[in-house]
Amino acid sequence: MTGTGLRGAPRSVVTVAAAAVLLLALPVLALVQRAPWSGLTTLLTRREVVDALGVSLVVSLLAAVIVLVLGTPLAWMLARVDLPLRRLVRALVLLPMVLPPVVGGTALLFALGRRGLFGQWLDRWFDLTLPFTTAGAVVAATFVALPFYVVTVEGALRTSGEDLEQVASTLGAGPVAVLRRVTLPRLLPAMGAGLALAWARALGEFGATITFAGNLPGRTRTLPLATFQALESDPEAAIALSLVLLAVSLAVLVPTRDRWLPTR
Amino acid sequence: MPVRPGTFVLLVVATVGLVVWLTTFDSDDNSRLLRVLVASSLSEVTSDLADAWTETLSSEKSVSVELLAGGSNHLVAQLRDGAPADAFLTADPDLLNDLTAAGLTLGIREAGLAHNHLVVARPALGPTRSPTELHDPSLVLVACAPEVPCGGSAVARFGDLPVDSFEASARAVVTRLALDEADLGIAYATDVNSHPDLVPAWPQEPVCPCVSYAAVALSTAGNSFVAFLASNRARSILTSHGFPVGPPQ
Repeated sequence: MTGTGLRGAPRSVVTVAAAAVLLLALPVLALVQRAPWSGLTTLLTRREVVDALGVSLVVSLLAAVIVLVLGTPLAWMLARVDLPLRRLVRALVLLPMVLPPVVGGTALLFALGRRGLFGQWLDRWFDLTLPFTTAGAVVAATFVALPFYVVTVEGALRTSGEDLEQVASTLGAGPVAVLRRVTLPRLLPAMGAGLALAWARALGEFGATITFAGNLPGRTRTLPLATFQALESDPEAAIALSLVLLAVSLAVLVPTRDRWLPTR
Repeated sequence: MPVRPGTFVLLVVATVGLVVWLTTFDSDDNSRLLRVLVASSLSEVTSDLADAWTETLSSEKSVSVELLAGGSNHLVAQLRDGAPADAFLTADPDLLNDLTAAGLTLGIREAGLAHNHLVVARPALGPTRSPTELHDPSLVLVACAPEVPCGGSAVARFGDLPVDSFEASARAVVTRLALDEADLGIAYATDVNSHPDLVPAWPQEPVCPCVSYAAVALSTAGNSFVAFLASNRARSILTSHGFPVGPPQ
């Protein structure tokens, strides 16, 4: 990364940028300041917290795997193939990023719920119901997390260009070999960064989960749901849970930030 | 086109000014708006009660009532955090103590406003059920979270059940059943009776008035509304919505 020193930046820009940082940092600081540090270990080892942490890890990791499997081909298609209606497809892919998660959850319920558009067939043919199951929570988390991965990987594919791939195919490599030996190896850092982002988003998912998958300790009550529940009866526990989510999110974001956006 | 520094400063000042103005947006117009936070099971009846109350006011004092319905505990949490409100109607009178503890000044209180009891309900189109099926883990059973009054009552009444989802309010249970996503749900009798898509899962006697609603005023305007809730007119509205009024049986 290059740039001028702080002195070189116009003062007005520095002032406003600092205000922006303050706006984002203050809530985090407040959370840390309110944290019940002395009782933290007791709070965090309580049954319901451990349960929620377990559900969250299972759900977010499974969602991350699905995101990887589904998202990589999708990103490649969006970046490399002249799809008909590409703009529409991309808008559809980005939709969960801007859609309120509760709306996403409602939509999932009408699509995959027991009486949903497709869910009724799952129920009738395979005796498979997603709402109120951990699988349902995974679906909700995948729904909101997928765009973060696709956007990151698609962006990387576009910035890296197709030169090497063209060279490889001139040298006689088939399309699959190009993908396997040229495209994917160069894409790995972006895939890692996108995956980390998607995983963090899945971990923080609340609205779609509670709407679609419900709220049951040990099955669908993830950390954010437990935080919401605790906020009403036990604010101390809610703060402790929030700290866990905060720590995990920071741990994911701090190392990936520079890879996420193409920096030169 | 170069951007002049003045433009930028103006934009910053205008934005900050706008945000500050937004925070004061309705505080000067409080006399015309009555905010009522209401337990979700009371939302329809309260809207009728509010209409009846505004009719009792003299015409030059036109007041509009804004209802915010939710789980009682969620509403208390909002009040504790400084949500503006003139009155609070709850399914758990004990929650009013939480408000006092949080330092809120309470006006007129009306305890035992009306009663309600729980029934096990099912989707109207679904198969008929028997009481033993309440303990059948293969059926999808939804109930209120133990933190909200309908959940606390459910635990007291039915004990440990194979619940599949703990909902944030009494009304959320109704929605799960109305969408036919759950087989059984523990809901308020009033909600089940007034909803076309829900029926009691089997004939059930009203076991107790498990829930006793209470109202409290949080402002002078709220005092007038809460006082109205004890009137005969208000009681007849509550009765017409299926809420037993009068002293608990």
